[in-house]
Amino acid sequence: MDIGVPETEREIEITPLEEPVPAPAPVEAPTEEPAPA
Amino acid sequence: MSALSIDPVLGWRLWHVRLHGDEYRLESFTWHHVSWPPKRRFEATCTLHREAAPVAGHECGIYAFTTRALAEDLLRRYTGIRHRYGREYRELPPVRRGRPIALGSVSLWGRILAREKGFRAQYAYPYELHLIGGDDRIAHELRDRYAVDVSS
Repeated sequence: MDIGVPETEREIEITPLEEPVPAPAPVEAPTEEPAPA
Repeated sequence: MSALSIDPVLGWRLWHVRLHGDEYRLESFTWHHVSWPPKRRFEATCTLHREAAPVAGHECGIYAFTTRALAEDLLRRYTGIRHRYGREYRELPPVRRGRPIALGSVSLWGRILAREKGFRAQYAYPYELHLIGGDDRIAHELRDRYAVDVSS
């Protein structure tokens, strides 16, 4: 991938407050089947 | 000295979409069988500098372009053969059936080395994807797996 010549390179440091990665879906608690009457 | 920021940089890039076992995954466009992990950041590594990547004066790091147009330019020159690009076509080329490609934006953070047309980053995660040469089923699967918007 041609992103340009190395001579133009400058460094940036990014420290996000929260990483832009989706949180895993919460695990749903198993629901109990209603007991037969 | 580097500039500091809290907002991730948004770049543009291409991925191959390939089956890993029975799961479609995003895979590096230039490195064969390097899979991007779902719901975890992708971390740059280097055979020489290991976790210190990206390093100035080297070519390691996670690559992305500054604009969508530059990513499309790369796709226009894609021949299907790794590291070999042909002349630039005016239209996006038809992707071979069963070999889908994702074009999309990507969040970059950590240490980033920016050039005039793109970046080499330490950490990355896809932001939004457009699937080319795939179908709705693969788009749905990628949307669920990576938890990002996927159009097709």
